[in-house]
Amino acid sequence: MGLSSQAKAQSSVEYLVIVALTFAIIVPAAYIFYNYSLESTNEIKDSQVLEIGRTVIDSAQAIYYSGQGSKTVVELRIPDNVYNVSILDGRELSFTLRTPFGLSDAVFFSKVNISGISSNCYANACLIPELTVPGTLKLKIEAQNQDTVTLIPI
Amino acid sequence: MKKSQSALEFLVTYAWVFVVIAVIVGALYYFGIFDFGKYVPQKCTFTSQISCIDFALDSSQVKVKLLNNLGEKVTVSSATITNDANPPITCAAPSFAGTWEASRANDFTFTSCSGGAYLPKQKVDLRITVSYYSESTSTMPVHKVVGRINGIVKSG
Repeated sequence: MGLSSQAKAQSSVEYLVIVALTFAIIVPAAYIFYNYSLESTNEIKDSQVLEIGRTVIDSAQAIYYSGQGSKTVVELRIPDNVYNVSILDGRELSFTLRTPFGLSDAVFFSKVNISGISSNCYANACLIPELTVPGTLKLKIEAQNQDTVTLIPI
Repeated sequence: MKKSQSALEFLVTYAWVFVVIAVIVGALYYFGIFDFGKYVPQKCTFTSQISCIDFALDSSQVKVKLLNNLGEKVTVSSATITNDANPPITCAAPSFAGTWEASRANDFTFTSCSGGAYLPKQKVDLRITVSYYSESTSTMPVHKVVGRINGIVKSG
């Protein structure tokens, strides 16, 4: 014996109410969690750049004070939001980063004179294009002379 | 004849249901029920080198307290504010300008804010750009850091 039409209508309405409630919960929750995950991703990339900058500057300073001919190799993990990297006036290691709000700089100041490969140096700036490629990069930091520490991607 | 009548009645009934649902959904959209952005917490996001400590969105001014984590004394050359509204928000530049010591917090207050849907009780999304340079670097290249404030404007 089948259900009466009233019972069928009731179960249909209940079904629709459950589906509607499920959507009402899932859609806003998905939006909010997606927002959180975006923020976390940006914070992680920011931390990665901070780690790279500090590692390079600390190593350059240690190598400088170790004397001419000293060198070390550091392994860096480059995030995918690095737009440009340059050494300015032999003192500032400047990263231009792509953020959700536009291009933003992360600058690391060195107490010792730093430089890049001479072919990538123009006026007061040396570019390090290898640092804009996402992934792992080995960077040789070498005190080639008494005054300058050179950063050489390998 | 009876079959076609019941089929027509079926279609008409369901068409009405769809029309009613569409009107309800439209009304909810109009009143901003589906604007889930306003359920996201109020937040100020900058980079870790210039971090945001606190902010306030008053009826006609935007205050933001930023911390210099650069490890270097810098000079702030400019600070600007904007958003994606058309026309965007316009404010008078903050009074703070000059030397910014390392590990020190400074208040940036943008006054006389207007436009850009900057209205009391409204959720706004603002972008702040701070430009700075180090006097210890010979050519003093200017750098900029961009941050975002997402919050509700206070009333009154």
